[in-house]
Amino acid sequence: MAPRSRKAAASTSPPRTHSDGTPPEVPPKDETSAVADVDALLAPLPGEQREEVKVNNASVTDMKHACDDALKRFLSRPDLFKQIHTHTDVRLALGWLSVLVAGATGLYGWKVPFEQSKPAVWAGVIAYIVLTIAQTLYSYFIEGDIVFVGKRKTFDKRIVTERITITSRTTPSSPSTPPGYALGLTFVRSAAGGKTLLGKGRASEERPFTAFFDERGVLDQEAFERWVGAVVGQVMDGKAQ
Amino acid sequence: MFADELKTLRRLGVRHVLLQILNFVSVLASGLMIWKGLGLITNTESPIVVVLSGSMEPAFYRGDLLFLTNPSDARYQTGDITVYKIPGADIPIVHRVLETHDYPPNNKGAVAASPLVQRQLLLTKGDNNAIDDIELYQGLEWLERKHIVGKVRGFLPYVGYVTIAMNDFPQLKYALLGGLGLLALIQRE
Repeated sequence: MAPRSRKAAASTSPPRTHSDGTPPEVPPKDETSAVADVDALLAPLPGEQREEVKVNNASVTDMKHACDDALKRFLSRPDLFKQIHTHTDVRLALGWLSVLVAGATGLYGWKVPFEQSKPAVWAGVIAYIVLTIAQTLYSYFIEGDIVFVGKRKTFDKRIVTERITITSRTTPSSPSTPPGYALGLTFVRSAAGGKTLLGKGRASEERPFTAFFDERGVLDQEAFERWVGAVVGQVMDGKAQ
Repeated sequence: MFADELKTLRRLGVRHVLLQILNFVSVLASGLMIWKGLGLITNTESPIVVVLSGSMEPAFYRGDLLFLTNPSDARYQTGDITVYKIPGADIPIVHRVLETHDYPPNNKGAVAASPLVQRQLLLTKGDNNAIDDIELYQGLEWLERKHIVGKVRGFLPYVGYVTIAMNDFPQLKYALLGGLGLLALIQRE
């Protein structure tokens, strides 16, 4: 492993006792068994071959995107959550639809003489404006800061569905503190197709970017994943803040 | 040169690539829609034009940007500067109206009392030209309203040279578009 001596001192949450590469112990067969399994899964796999993630560490947006991507990669592992892409798909659908409307209107206005084309071009321009407003409202009100929505189905004595929604924000820097990365998590565990509520949790935690990025701008993915795993584990155990 | 970016793109998946392309294409789409919307509001197919010749000096020089409107209920007066397009010629011409004649519509013997008739016959001439535009009309004796693209309302000097440069050197246009596309694919909002 590359020496991490140049990284700023970081304060991470205490590591879980049964993670860090040891195989999970045989869990007791009751409600908490699923939870113990997940705790093991939430630990970053040691020695896993990762591509180096290097960003411009003067740009807070770049660092936030790098962290968001690492978060998505970490939580989308096969045994963990399955990412639900609804927000992205809606944004893509509305966006591409508005582009197609614009293209069709432009093409029509080019082929047909001006006076004749006016009603259709009016319709096209108004449709484009409506779609753009819809996109903006959706992304501001409904999507907001959400970066990851994941679902997980486990079979214990019945089918348990778990759903996690993660938002992330950056906090601005001040002369004495570095910029920070604030995660907010909302977690729901239900059974019987969502009709029985088994557990709910909410958590939010913040870390300065200096905890994960070194001087060159390389993201320490293991430390980041350890932190994310800890917070997700917290919210899934129901130890919400 | 783009190995890092290609690696990132491959890692992030199809949706991400679609989003990045959407970023670029939606900038083009919004530009197109603003243009078309402006054309609808000003009632002209080309609300902004560039002066190509020196026939209107000293009022307009080559490279000036002109802002046009085409109010359907207003009458064109002598002295207005109009941009017109003769069918068969592909370049619109910007010259001043020299003469206008009202041509009352054939309303079964009745003549419209209002001066705001749609049928106007116009004769134009460039300020810097010695003769009027009869020879440019390609056989027509008068210009009619339907040939007029719009009336000049305002102008910006020199800005049109960008368009002239891009028309004379199409490589510039492609280079600009290519550069924008690359930027949009690599940057994330």
